[in-house]
Amino acid sequence: MDAVRIQESDFSIEQEVDALRSGSRRIGGIATFMGCARDFSEGRDVYSIRFEQYADMAEKAMRTLRDEAMDRFDIIETRIIHRVATVHAGDRIVLIVVGAEHRGPAFDACRWIIDELKRRVPIWKKETTPDGESWVSAHP
Amino acid sequence: MTVRVLFFGSVAERLGRGSAEAEPGITLSELVRRTGCADMQPLLLAVNQEQIRDTEYVVKDGDEVALMPPFSGG
Repeated sequence: MDAVRIQESDFSIEQEVDALRSGSRRIGGIATFMGCARDFSEGRDVYSIRFEQYADMAEKAMRTLRDEAMDRFDIIETRIIHRVATVHAGDRIVLIVVGAEHRGPAFDACRWIIDELKRRVPIWKKETTPDGESWVSAHP
Repeated sequence: MTVRVLFFGSVAERLGRGSAEAEPGITLSELVRRTGCADMQPLLLAVNQEQIRDTEYVVKDGDEVALMPPFSGG
């Protein structure tokens, strides 16, 4: 499967890590970041979160992000997967997997990718709380 | 052809629509004003799926402009 994806369905961390690992025998360290849904945010219970995206731009921005990460860090491969669906507490939302020869660049790139993804990729979340639905403002 | 304008998230919700059309030859700041989004700050802009900060950019025939609230993915 494509290394950069926006999809409605759930993903498997193990499958994504295996897909990355099987691509190169030079990988010595793999860092992952997974974001998942919380049941509490800004002082309120959260029943569910619905995602919206600007699909054409979001995919383009995620591909650019991957290319930039590959240039910027001494890494071998990276995978970026984001779900756009209605999710509930505990559900997986986003996954970054980075493989490098050594752990340092893998950790650094993983952190950089998720930070930049939040800044650059046009995806929005709307939470359903006891007070009704509300759009989430950006989290730094 | 004209300029296609797309609205997302809270911007779309406030306007009650997801898209509109605009005349080519106006600046992005004028387009934001004409679509009734001038008071929606912060507002992020994109032209042809690339984020743009220059609000003096003059929109051209065939451009796809997006008016977006700050992103909250991840």
